[in-house]
Amino acid sequence: MEQYDIVVIGSGPAGATTARFASAQGLKVLMLDKHQELGAPVQCSGAVSSHALEDNEVPISDEFVEEVIYGFQIYNEDGDSSRIDYRELKPDLYGAGPGKKALGYVVFRRRFDRYLMTLAEKAGSSIMLKAEAIGFEKQNGDAIVHIKYFNEDIHVRTKVIVGADGLQSQVGKWAGMKTHINFNELASCLQFVVDGIAADGLLEIITGHEWAPGGYAWVFPKGHGYAEIGLGVICSMTPHNAQWHLDHFIKNSFFKERFRNARILEVQGGGVPLSHPLKTQYADNLILVGDAARHVNPITGGGIHTALNAGKIAGNYLAEFIQSGKPATAENLSVQQDRWMAAMGKKMWELYEIKSGIFKTANIPSRNAALYKTMTEYFSPGSPFKKI
Amino acid sequence: MVKSEGAIFSISWNACIRCGVCVAICPQDQLFTSPFDTIAVQTVCDIACMICEAICPVSAITHVMVEKSE
Repeated sequence: MEQYDIVVIGSGPAGATTARFASAQGLKVLMLDKHQELGAPVQCSGAVSSHALEDNEVPISDEFVEEVIYGFQIYNEDGDSSRIDYRELKPDLYGAGPGKKALGYVVFRRRFDRYLMTLAEKAGSSIMLKAEAIGFEKQNGDAIVHIKYFNEDIHVRTKVIVGADGLQSQVGKWAGMKTHINFNELASCLQFVVDGIAADGLLEIITGHEWAPGGYAWVFPKGHGYAEIGLGVICSMTPHNAQWHLDHFIKNSFFKERFRNARILEVQGGGVPLSHPLKTQYADNLILVGDAARHVNPITGGGIHTALNAGKIAGNYLAEFIQSGKPATAENLSVQQDRWMAAMGKKMWELYEIKSGIFKTANIPSRNAALYKTMTEYFSPGSPFKKI
Repeated sequence: MVKSEGAIFSISWNACIRCGVCVAICPQDQLFTSPFDTIAVQTVCDIACMICEAICPVSAITHVMVEKSE
């Protein structure tokens, strides 16, 4: 039986980054993904900040960048807005000119995820696609992972399994971890990729219960003259589904004239956990990273930065851990979560408290005002949460 | 023999956008999925909470109630 130091299940941003950092430090890494193509079907709008890529050593590449972002425009329910354009706020730093930089990007997830996988591969990870992990058993302190690879049943031995299998994570369930998300904390999201919408390098965020109860709507530039129009809703706050709300937003909002000639090129959907991170993200022979551990920003719903960062922390930690020769008990692996809490987790818990406070407000106009204010402050230059 | 109700779900495959939200919200402890990353379609769900139906962005999920022998 083939033996690995770690087996990473799921090659998204969190898994591929864990694999890359672990391999770079000499671990023998196997990464599995059950899909035939990474990042598909697309379940994400693809917005990510420049510093998320820089901090986690992801080179910016034309292979995955769809659009360069320089700021935000936050709207309230009636269409009044705050424009937070870093080309105007910090013209020496941000812009398209020489020596200036981007604030962020909208990436094409299929190519972005594939690119991250190639980085892991170049660092030395072995990778198998069409490889679905179906369970594991413990044996002499190690884990034996059962894999369905095309039509073949195979087993590999490893010290630590990294569950990076996303929102629908099954890996945590194998170990009996409490991974369940509350109905009122999972945003049901739908977006259309459209043409015929003018956009100029800003992520537009539209708040208001009328358009997106429990979440927000967005218009993100997607490159090539395309844009993403989407929204996420909390279904306990509305009798309608996300599709109804998106249709309502497109036809009846203050953007109805702007959207009149939009033609739908793609339909995409996904779930975004607006919950707190899992309280326990480790078990014997197992840690969870990324969406599987609810490493998602509960205010913005952004999960790429948090996934990359969790992957870097996990990859570095596991290299140290495996080299220490300690047994892979839950207690020993809990250090991963301590490091993650110190680096990101504490701030994510703070954001969760802020978000919960907003959506517990029963009075809708007050709630709308609180969300608009929080979103505007969040993306402003003085925000204490800029690096999340 | 005790009889209890359960639900069997159907997916409108044309409407389904493969977003996986139904699986993510499903409270079943054991694997309750179809080969297409949705909730299971040929197995009786004894919880029958229907939150998968409620959260589906495109309302692709419906169910029929059945008697299940235990």
